[in-house]
Amino acid sequence: MSRQSSRTLAGYLLLSPYLLLFLLFLIFPLVFGLWLSFMKYELISPHPPRWIGVANYTEAFHDKYFWKALWVTTIFVVISVPITIVLSLAIASGLERLGARRQNLYRLAIFLPSMLTITVVGILWRWFYEAEFGLINSLLAEIHIGKIPWLLTPNWAMASIIIMTIWWTIGAPVIILQAGLKQIPEAFYEAASLDGAVGFRRFFSITLPLLRPVLLFVSVTTIIGAFQIFGQPFLVTSGGPERSTLVMMQYIYGVAFNDYRLGYGAAMSWLLFLVIGLVTIFQFLIFKEN
Amino acid sequence: MARKFSVEILMLLAAVLCILPVALIFLTAFKPDVEIIHFHGLLPKLWTTENFHQIFTQSEDIPIFRWLGNSLLISTSVTLLVLVVDSLAAYALARLELPGRKWIFSLILATMMVPGQILLVPVYLILSKLHWLDTPLALIVPAGAGAFGVFLLHQFFKGIPRELEEAAELDGCSPLGIYWHIMLPLSRPALATLAIFAFVASWNDFLNPMVFLDSIDRYTLPVGVALFQSSYAAEYGLTLAACVICTLPIILVFLAFHKHIIKGIAAGGLKE
Repeated sequence: MSRQSSRTLAGYLLLSPYLLLFLLFLIFPLVFGLWLSFMKYELISPHPPRWIGVANYTEAFHDKYFWKALWVTTIFVVISVPITIVLSLAIASGLERLGARRQNLYRLAIFLPSMLTITVVGILWRWFYEAEFGLINSLLAEIHIGKIPWLLTPNWAMASIIIMTIWWTIGAPVIILQAGLKQIPEAFYEAASLDGAVGFRRFFSITLPLLRPVLLFVSVTTIIGAFQIFGQPFLVTSGGPERSTLVMMQYIYGVAFNDYRLGYGAAMSWLLFLVIGLVTIFQFLIFKEN
Repeated sequence: MARKFSVEILMLLAAVLCILPVALIFLTAFKPDVEIIHFHGLLPKLWTTENFHQIFTQSEDIPIFRWLGNSLLISTSVTLLVLVVDSLAAYALARLELPGRKWIFSLILATMMVPGQILLVPVYLILSKLHWLDTPLALIVPAGAGAFGVFLLHQFFKGIPRELEEAAELDGCSPLGIYWHIMLPLSRPALATLAIFAFVASWNDFLNPMVFLDSIDRYTLPVGVALFQSSYAAEYGLTLAACVICTLPIILVFLAFHKHIIKGIAAGGLKE
């Protein structure tokens, strides 16, 4: 055997363990899930699975709880993502002005919450938000401010979920944006200061445009993550009150694994995938145009 | 000057707001319940290990050491699996002449944009057909399919000078020998980063173990502690002590490897 073909053979051999897992647990489930979404596939039903065409999709379009969950998820994304990005950009720029030691220390502190599992985050914030003897209301009482009905009314429940999510997830955007800021050559700023651009003008005319690829990455990954929110409402509000925090993933989870309607669950997964895909493409177009 | 000072204050505030709740988990777990309901300050007035004692003695209801063992087994296995299959694949894709290599690599990269939720229902059915549900395999094997590690190591391998390999080849070293004797030893930083990310992601995973595991004895810590808090919801001291056990290993990993973690996350954003 020639050297060339033996290297090719070796290559495929070394690639094959990963490729096998990749095909079996990533590519195949993608296709299989699409096929499932056209099936009536109910685990506890006495009838075998059968092809029902687009019936799962038409069911979703007439399912008011599907629309409610999609609406709730969208509200969460639309409010939490811009706050996360603006706040992380502000923190990243602020950190850049500190000395190296404090920069590193503060960055570690800000990233620490992201290392926690959602179970711990959920338990912690349930305690903070508890109406009677929760930590936040206790502290507010000390300074004679009335109790806030954190998890008790729809709007406050959504606000609670958003606040804890930002606390939990802000670390990675801060790190990525700060690394992006460090890549902007000092020369650009020197040239700008000769032209008299300082402060906010400097930020909008130099920093933001040069940061665009990094901002695109942060915004795409943050939005993909936000659309898939699950643990926060599942553990802290159970989706309530009045379904005001019942997000898509919790609805899909309930349909697929409490009601065992896997076909319908797969169809809604694909609809959510479609929404995420369209929003992602939209972001690429916007960032390209400007 | 005043502006510089206010930036300092704001950044300190951000850091404190982030770290304080984490500190509260650890401090409050050592408080008696009275002090939790009537909050009087960060530190316990009366330090007590009662909460931990109660968890450890209720191993019938709360098999927390079983869960700890399950989590350790699963996360360690995932880490080893990911390191082995990803490094082999990344080496093959970065260095060996494979027809269709570009096409395969693009396909792998494209899946990094695929939201994980889409796989939940179909993977559940695949695992059920394999009779892997409610076993550690359900959480170990599918975790080897992720593209992040292949991407990370591929970028790293490409930066290693070819001269080293050519010299080894002249000495009659096989591709597998080059992988073992040259690529792996030179890639320790990247391998460490990947190992930490794989371990932490597996340790913290909540949705997959909740869907794929059934028996309380087989739960991982996050799922077990979540179940436990639903029946002991009002006993914050107890649930927070459980949180300490769940969090401590991750905090240790973070303290030991924070440089790798920060670098790994920053690299993800800049490779676009």
